[in-house]
This record gives sequence, C-alpha cells and structure tokens, in this order.
Amino acid sequence: MADFSKISPFQVDPSAIEEAMGLTAEDFAPASEGEKESMVEKRKSVSYWRDAARRFKANTVSMVALFIFICCLIFAFIGPKLIPYSYGDQYRSSLKLGPREYSEGEALIQSASSYFDGFYASGLQAGSITAVMKGDHYITYKGNKYGFTQEQNEEGVIIGIEKSTGNLVKVYEKDVDPATGAVNKVTVLSEGPSEPAESADELKTVKSVFPHIFGTDSVGRDLMARTMYGARVSILIGIMAALIVLIIGSIYGAISGLAGGTLDFIMMRIVELIYSIPEVLIVLLLQVVLREPLQEWIDHSGSSLAQAAGALGSGIICIFITFALLYWVTMARIVRGQVLQLRKQEYVTAAIALGAGNKRIIKRHLLPNCVGALVITTCLQIPSAIFLESFLSFLGLGVSAPMASLGSLCSDALQTITLYPYRLVYPAVILTIIVLTLNLVGDGLRDALDPRLKK
Amino acid sequence: MVTYTLKRLGAALLTLLIIMAITFFLMNAIPGSPFLTEKSTPQQIALANAKYGLDKPLIIQLKNYVVNYLKGDLGTSLKMQEGTPVRDIIFHQGKFVLSIKLGLISLAVAVIIGIPLGCIAAYNRGTWLDGFLRVMTTVGVAIPGFVLATLLLASLAVKLHVLPTNSGQLTDFKSYIMPILSMSFYYVCYVAKLTRTSMLDAINQDYIRTARAKGVKTKMIVLKHALRNSLIPVITYLGPVTAGIITGSFVVESTFQIPGLGKYYVQCVMSRDYPVIMATTVVLSALVIFMNLVVDIAYKIVDPRITLTNKED
Repeated sequence: MADFSKISPFQVDPSAIEEAMGLTAEDFAPASEGEKESMVEKRKSVSYWRDAARRFKANTVSMVALFIFICCLIFAFIGPKLIPYSYGDQYRSSLKLGPREYSEGEALIQSASSYFDGFYASGLQAGSITAVMKGDHYITYKGNKYGFTQEQNEEGVIIGIEKSTGNLVKVYEKDVDPATGAVNKVTVLSEGPSEPAESADELKTVKSVFPHIFGTDSVGRDLMARTMYGARVSILIGIMAALIVLIIGSIYGAISGLAGGTLDFIMMRIVELIYSIPEVLIVLLLQVVLREPLQEWIDHSGSSLAQAAGALGSGIICIFITFALLYWVTMARIVRGQVLQLRKQEYVTAAIALGAGNKRIIKRHLLPNCVGALVITTCLQIPSAIFLESFLSFLGLGVSAPMASLGSLCSDALQTITLYPYRLVYPAVILTIIVLTLNLVGDGLRDALDPRLKK
Repeated sequence: MVTYTLKRLGAALLTLLIIMAITFFLMNAIPGSPFLTEKSTPQQIALANAKYGLDKPLIIQLKNYVVNYLKGDLGTSLKMQEGTPVRDIIFHQGKFVLSIKLGLISLAVAVIIGIPLGCIAAYNRGTWLDGFLRVMTTVGVAIPGFVLATLLLASLAVKLHVLPTNSGQLTDFKSYIMPILSMSFYYVCYVAKLTRTSMLDAINQDYIRTARAKGVKTKMIVLKHALRNSLIPVITYLGPVTAGIITGSFVVESTFQIPGLGKYYVQCVMSRDYPVIMATTVVLSALVIFMNLVVDIAYKIVDPRITLTNKED
C-alpha cells in the first residue's frame, strides 16, 4: 500500500511522491519510438454491430427464420403488384371458388386465350365495369394504342389482338367453344393500331386468366389478394405499434431512471398501476368507445392528419391509441432498469468526474449500451402487436371492411367453416409463420446483441 | 409478511377503484344514450335517465356506483335483460361458474402438463425428445389461440365429427376437450419452455453435483432439488397467465358457443349496457388482480430469499 499521508496537498515534494508511490524520475520520461510502436493497433478492433452480426449469422435457426420472414414480406408487399386482383374488387361471376378453380366464364376465356395476343375481357373485371360508360376506351399493345367504343351493358365480351392477323377484334363469349377453345365468330374492330379519343380510358389487358390460387370468398373477392393485403396490414400494424411502444416506453423509462428520487417513485407507481390493469378489457372498451368519435373526427375535420387517419381507418387508429396508452409499460421498466444499472458503472462515474455533462453521458455512454435491449424488446413487441390486432379483428373490432387483416380473414372464414375450411387455413398459417419467424429472429437478436443473456 | 399482504391488498383495491373510474368515464364518452332508439322521444329518454340516475353529474354517478358496489349491489341491466339485477346475470345464470371452470382447468392443464414437459426436455437435453419438444413449444407459442380454436373446430368437429361443434353448457367430457386444448396449449408450451430453461440453470448448480455425489437418485434430485428452484420463474409467469386466460375465454367462448362471461362481455360492450359492462369489468379485473396478489405471495413462500418490500431495485 502506498503511504499517501506523507504527501501534503500544499507543499508537493516530488521525492515524497516518488517514494510514496514507488515511482522514479525515469517513469516520467517520454516514451521512446519502440515503446510507442507496441501500442499501435495490430488489427482493427471489431465494432459492436459487426460482432453482433457475426454472432447472428452463425445462428442457423435465426437465419432461416429471417429468410422465411423476408419471403413473407415479399408476399405481403411485392405480391399484390404481381397478381391482377385487388383486395377490394368483387368479381360477380367468380363467387365462392375453391383454390385454383376457374368460374365458368373464366374457364371459357382461358380456353380461348390461345387465340389472342393480349386481351381485355369484360366478364373478368370487377362488377363495376358496366358502370364505366364514358364512351371511348382503348387498349395498349406493344406500345400502340387500339381505340374502340364499348357499348352500354355489353357483358361477356372479349376484346383483344388476334394472334394470326394482329387486328383488334371483338368476340362474344357465347361464340367460344368451351371444349376446344375454337372461336366461331369474330368482329374485326380495326385493322392495326388506331387513335383513340383524347378522353379515352385505358383498359388493362392480360395474356391469360390468372387463377384464384387461394379461391374467392362469398362476394367474389380473390382470397390470395386479400391474404397478401391482410399480411401487409398486420405487419405494418405490428411495426407501427412496436415503434409507438419504443418511443413512449424508452422516453418514460429514461426520464424515470435518470431523474430518480420522488419523480422516479411516482412514475414507477403509475407504471405498476397500468401494469395491473387487465388490458384486454380496457382494449375492448376503448375499441368501442373511440370508434365513433374517431370516425366523426375523420369525416368532419379537414386537416391532413385526419385524412391520413381516414386512409388507415378508425379501427387501426384505435389499436395504435391502445398501444400508446397501455402497452409501453414493459418497455419503460426495461429501459429504467438499464439506465439505473448503467448509471452505477464506473466509466459513467469517471465521465462525471472528468466533467462530462448530462447530454454527453446520455449520448456516449447510456444510449449505446441500451441499444441492444431496445432492439430486442422492440423486435419481440411486433409479434405481440400482431397477436393483439388479430385477436381484436377476430372479435370483429379491428380493421373495417373492405380492408382485411389476417385476423379479420380468419374471422370471416369462421362464418363458413363447415363449407369452406380452406379459407381459414391460408391466413391462419401465414399469421402463424409471421409470428413464429419474428419470435425466432427476436431470440437470435437477443443472443447476438446481448451475449450476457445467453445461457 | 402481514404488512406486505395488507399493503398489496390496499394497492389492489386502489387499482380496482381506478379501473372503475376509467371504465365509467370511457362508457360515458360513448356518444349517444343507451335508451336512444328510433321511436324514443326526448322526454322518454330524460325519464329513463332519471329512473336509472343517469341525469346526475358524472362524479355523483361514479360515487353512487362505488358505494353500491361496496354494498354488494351491482345495479340492474338496462338493455340486454332489462330489469334483471346484474349480480344475478353474472353469478346466478351460470356464466361466472362456466368461465371460472374453463379458466381453472386450463390453468391446471398448463401447470400439470407444462412443468413435467419442461423437466423431461431438460433431462434429455440434446436428444430427439428434447428437439421434438423444443420445436413443439416454439411453434406452440406462435399460434394465436383463435387460430388453434378454429383449426380444431374445422378438423375434429366439422370434418371428422369426433367432437361436438357446440360445446354449450359443458355438460359432458367431450365438450371440454377443444375449449380447454385451445385455451391452454399456448400456456403449456410457454410453461414448458420456461421450466426447461430454468431447470437447465438449476442442474448446473453446485448443490446438484453435491446431491449426486452423495448418491441421491436422479428422480429425487429432480423432484427435491432442481424443480423447487426452477419453479420461481414459472410462478412469476402465472399472474399474466390468468389475464391471458380471460382473453382466451373471449375467443374460445365465442368460437365454441359457450355462454360464459367472456362471450357475454363482448356482447354487452357492443350493446352499451352500462351497469353490466361496469360490473363485468370489475369482476374480471378483480379476478386478475387477485391472482397477481396470490402469485406474489406464493413467490415469497417458494423462495424466501426474495424480499418483497423492495423488489424494484
């Protein structure tokens, strides 16, 4: 033990210091070149994120889960662009089809499709097509426009480019032989491209009839399009809700942890109170209570915020409000715990001793060390938000028609479960896969970002 | 211990009071009156409001609720079964008993099956049995209760006709199977996962090695030494389970058409039957809060090392 009692704070005698600490004058000489060289980094130090990424990549289960989740993302976000059906369109002639089944009209058109090179069929379009009667229409083929006039209430008509001649032709469905696909009667509308009127509407053409891979529902909506859309809604709700929880929870927890004392005490009592409220009861109440005022606000307030809310629908806004009110408490507890733990660390004390301000300590020491816990908790919050949303939609309180979420699709399917059990299987399986992969990715992230937690 | 229990009891009552206040103000925030129908005149609505005390200031109404509840009077239904005391609806029409039966059996199944499964997995670590159980529990916690309920309904009841689609009053054994399975499967898996993790933790402790060195049989080691220590996280989890089982009961009772409290709650929230909503919320909340209290005290009994007064830090 060094004897510091010999050192007087007022009269510093160098020899006394040297003697007390066992140092000699040589210890204070500048380092030589050779000594400096030994301190130079030989290898670049691995950053925290690089290290975590390496650990995550080594975890096979999590990598596979991540891959499957990315497939789900592609299904939900890119899928709707690849299929010609949309989640809200009702195809009157294609009600209650089974997976990969064609309706009579679709089968007919499908059999005739070898005759055409890109066509538009009124029987394939949504029920609203007879109402679109603005006069002139056109279809585009190989960059050329082909104008024509569709007559009022003309249904069961195929308009397209004849393969053999390249002419724009019109064929009635009744003139197609269902067995061979041979076309008996053709009306030539124009030979080669023709200029449409300026106000003409473009009609989309297809090469063949796209199958309803998951079938259609009782009002003729394509179930695959709805499932894709529902998956997108569910994933977005999950991510948004997790972000809301992250923001509110981490700010609340950080304030509580940093402030300490009475404020901390009061804030934590509030957290405990909210924690002990059975949230599902309040969620149900909130859903019913908030729905009408929200709808009122969306309808009558002209602000851009209200319009954005209107695009989402009052059901989804209700879910977000619920998360903002009730679900941030776990996050707040975790953040507070982290802050309390980190604040006691020696390097924070050292930073304070060196005169670092609050801002610098939060930015340099607390935040970087909390990030792991924040990422993990947020990631695991997403599946639980998806769970809650699907639960509410299942009870008929989540998203409103014609929008869909995976929960509301399951709920719709339950009405007709005796006749069409497959309608339940697709959304249910995709919901399970999304939740499962997110759970596994979250576990992997926890192992990668916070190795101390790994058993 | 006694002080702690009393303190917690006080906190629980305060929470209940706050829940009552929140519910009350939320209900009054719903636009429109419960008596508003196409035929009703303003005078009729005013009369009905006066009859049920809805014309008084909100704070007085809230006070009346609290005082009446303390007396055991839960009010009378305004809409769904007009004039019937809410207490009779909840407790005497079999709704409460049905829901409690379902909930307790599910909880028991979660514990009785989940804990042994976790022990088996931990003791056979690395074998195919452990692998199988791990896959099962990981998938199990990712399946939402209503998905499982509807899939069971579709396969066992609709396709195979082995079990009834309508469980009704739960009179025979068969009608229990699907509701209980869909309510408890998630928790069986979760409890098994928890038990496995904490069991593995306990197995590596020194006192287990000592016991083994003394020649204690494996069965005894698991039952006496490892299990007791690995039960703590499981017990902590049982509080949230109760709340979760109530959520489950909403779905399960709606899916299998069981006329219990969960199904009824969803109905009365939609029809705005104020006294019934209030009473049901309070009864269900009281149940959850009570279970949390029991869990906290059980926690202390299992592990005397935990000091309850200062568990925050």
